[in-house]
Amino acid sequence: MSKELRFLIVDDFSTMRRIVRNLLKESGYADADEAEDGVAALQKLRNSSFDFVVSDINMPNMNGFQLLAEIKKDDKLKHLPVLMVTAEARKEDIVLAAQQGAAGYIVKPFTKATLEDKVNHILTKMGLK
Amino acid sequence: MSEAPTPSSLTTVQVHQQLGALTRQLHDSLNGLGLAEKVKDWAGELPDAKSRLSYIARLTGQAAEKVLNQVDQAKAQHDHIAAETRRIGELIVKDPVAAVAKGHVMNFITDVEQASKKVDDHLTEIMMAQDFHDLTGQVIAKVVTLAATIEEQLVLLLLQTAPADAKVNAPSGQEYVPALAGPVVDGQANQDVVTDQSQVDDLLASLGF
Repeated sequence: MSKELRFLIVDDFSTMRRIVRNLLKESGYADADEAEDGVAALQKLRNSSFDFVVSDINMPNMNGFQLLAEIKKDDKLKHLPVLMVTAEARKEDIVLAAQQGAAGYIVKPFTKATLEDKVNHILTKMGLK
Repeated sequence: MSEAPTPSSLTTVQVHQQLGALTRQLHDSLNGLGLAEKVKDWAGELPDAKSRLSYIARLTGQAAEKVLNQVDQAKAQHDHIAAETRRIGELIVKDPVAAVAKGHVMNFITDVEQASKKVDDHLTEIMMAQDFHDLTGQVIAKVVTLAATIEEQLVLLLLQTAPADAKVNAPSGQEYVPALAGPVVDGQANQDVVTDQSQVDDLLASLGF
């Protein structure tokens, strides 16, 4: 069941999008799409169906916090788990993400095991795995 | 009317007086333009820029080192597979039945499978090492913004203090607004940041996550 889940990877650096995409694929989640910022992500989320969002925070046009807020106030999207994967390591940012409804928070640089653990933990918690 | 003194004819006292006058003029100009506080900010940010550049050098160095180490190990595994392939090939040519019956072929298959897994792990590590592009890119963007801000303000200062007949309109500079903090370049010096994933997990756990 979880193998069919569709992921959206949001990051302004294509290198990081490719890394996350490959890691998800190695973890058994091969169905993924990418967006370079919050604006592009919202557009894809509203025009297509996704099960999981992995998002950076520091991005142009619309950052990860703004994207998270938009997702959580949209009735059709607010059920989506959003895992923040970011270099922002201030405690206040982590607390803010949690308060805004992020499903998890990973600081860069991270390992394959960390990403896999967090994704699986969130999916298990949501009953999707 | 007395001639302006040439540099060689200036006394030490005169040099000091002129330096004092220049310093006062610069101080007054900065104050007049409301730049004094900005200069203080720059002074505070320049060491930060230095540590950010050091961070870039460190991170790129570590990434290069990691990639080269992983390539060395992957090549060793690859050499092992090549050597074993040659060896099993010779055994099969010599006596195909014995090669299978004695388990050489099966051992070879198991060996190749394990070596391939190790090579795949090394390739994953090489891929992960490329995350330096994202992390250093964010830091470089911050240093570039700082340099651009200082340049803009210095040009503004120059234009404002130039003789009247040399004045041109200053370009409208954009206010430097620090955005998100970006990668932690010196976590030990800042108690407000986390330095690894376990600290993130602890913080989230304390919030009930």
